[in-house]
Amino acid sequence: MVTSAPTLSRRSRILWLVPLLALAIPAATNAYTQFIVNAMLIYTLATLGFTLVIGSLGQLAFANTAFFGIGAYSATIIGTAFGLPWLLTVPVAGLFGALGGFLASAAALRGIRLYYLAIVTLAFGELMRWLYIHAGVVTGGTDGLPVPLEQDFGLSLTSDNVQFYIFLVITCLLFAGTINLLRSRIGRAIIAVRENELATASLGIPTSRVIIMAFVWSGFVVGIAGSMFALHVGHVFPESFGLTQLIIGFAMVLVGGLGSVAGAALGAIALTALPELLRAFPGMEDIFFGVVVMAVLLALPKGLAGLLGRFSPAFQQRYHRN
Amino acid sequence: MFLQLTLSGVSQGALYALVALSLTVIYRSTSIVNFGHGDFVMAGAFLAYVLVIGLGVAYLPASIIAIVAMFLLGVAFSRGLIRPIRGGPHIGLALMSIAFGFTLRGIAATVWGRDVLPMPRVFNIDPIIIGPVLITGNALFTIGIVAVLLAAFFTLLHLTDIGKMVQAVHQSERGARLIGINVGRFHDFSWGVGAALGAVGGILIAPVSLLHPDLGAGFLIKGFAAMTLGGFGSLGGAVVAGLLLGVVEQYAGAYIDTAMIDITPYLLIIIVLAVRPLGLFGRKVVVKV
Repeated sequence: MVTSAPTLSRRSRILWLVPLLALAIPAATNAYTQFIVNAMLIYTLATLGFTLVIGSLGQLAFANTAFFGIGAYSATIIGTAFGLPWLLTVPVAGLFGALGGFLASAAALRGIRLYYLAIVTLAFGELMRWLYIHAGVVTGGTDGLPVPLEQDFGLSLTSDNVQFYIFLVITCLLFAGTINLLRSRIGRAIIAVRENELATASLGIPTSRVIIMAFVWSGFVVGIAGSMFALHVGHVFPESFGLTQLIIGFAMVLVGGLGSVAGAALGAIALTALPELLRAFPGMEDIFFGVVVMAVLLALPKGLAGLLGRFSPAFQQRYHRN
Repeated sequence: MFLQLTLSGVSQGALYALVALSLTVIYRSTSIVNFGHGDFVMAGAFLAYVLVIGLGVAYLPASIIAIVAMFLLGVAFSRGLIRPIRGGPHIGLALMSIAFGFTLRGIAATVWGRDVLPMPRVFNIDPIIIGPVLITGNALFTIGIVAVLLAAFFTLLHLTDIGKMVQAVHQSERGARLIGINVGRFHDFSWGVGAALGAVGGILIAPVSLLHPDLGAGFLIKGFAAMTLGGFGSLGGAVVAGLLLGVVEQYAGAYIDTAMIDITPYLLIIIVLAVRPLGLFGRKVVVKV
């Protein structure tokens, strides 16, 4: 049974207060915590894009780290080559990310599904990382590339506070875009494909186009998050886009709540904060990380969003199986 | 040169085949791909290392203890962590195995640090030289083990009642339950066997690749590549593809560029799936609406 709650959209408008309240965050942080908060915004966006494919569309595609890396590298390479200010490289990163999404969707359309798709997209990500290492002339090899910041429209982009406001605006815009996409015909079709692809096709919905749309939008969002990551770190390295990053992104989606837009933010914030809190226990990070993820999977199958959804309908998913 | 490359490829490929074989055994009986399998392999190798180097146990009993311990760990993992979320989405199952592997890796890194530890060879016999080619005793032993295991599991799956049980559970868990198979316990047992096979792989891999907590990740990818190429679930396919992968890697490294060695499995996966979306030996699954 798929149910929808019509009163929900009005109530969830309250959630738009969150970014307004967030405007005050830089007043309450020091340089270190602000850096972490900025990382939370980046991962929120990356998780949003990822959850769209594995949660809403229900495809086991692990290409999010590839899109993330493509965004970061394309923004940096093109920014350097044409002397573009960073802000103008953001849409470039989005377009290249979307192109990556299109390529990944080609695999899904070829009839590669489930574990085959997981492995072929995993291979795609590792292939990209290999390219970053071995295409030294363009990508700087293992040393990576510095992010050019000579021109920045008079914004001092190296400041974490300035970055925060820019990231907040971009994140809010893409969240609004994604929420609207999911509410549209296409969004309902995406969820219908997850529930039953053949039945969806039998209703005359062009499932291939729906799958491409979801992947392309996912790649667009994650690619932009990648360009934000490049600015945040100030340098792109091949090692930032490896398997560990993939696993963390994957965990953020599930800890937040598979397919939940609000959950993307919750999971990203929780799992960005966790390693920072664990710095007090050196060497134990991996164990804690693994244990936390296993505990969430066992105790909260719908993630943090599911937990909050018990108290507030704003966190409930619009369409879900009973 | 060509012969030597082929032979090195086969002995390296035998290790990939072993990882792919253990992944396939778990997949065939539980329909789950174990994304944490690399860390099972690593854990088996570390257990053997502790017994051999730390406690001075002889190689054979140490290996048997490590294999049995990993069997029990696999059963416990299935019973405690997989069974409760069995009905959930595939993605949750995949992450559960990754998180468990992450924990194993964290434990190994905490206890032994991130240093690379040398593992002594199983046999200290001199390499055998036949004409222009050379093969180590270890490699011969590995190839032998893979052959024996493949034969054993092939017999088990195709010629015995256990094999029919595997097929029944794979086709329909509900149907299997109706005819009196205890599916839960069967899954636990299969995870145990898969983990034990992973440990066999780890014990054979460690002397070749040295021992460190991240040992598993690379071999997992090769195992995946072999499993995908072989068509998910085909034992023979997994082994043939594993050997093939080892050989192709050697050729690519020697004739094209050494940097190609790392990327061969990924390229193979992408090319083969682009041509045949269900792998070299995979069969189409018909889905009912």
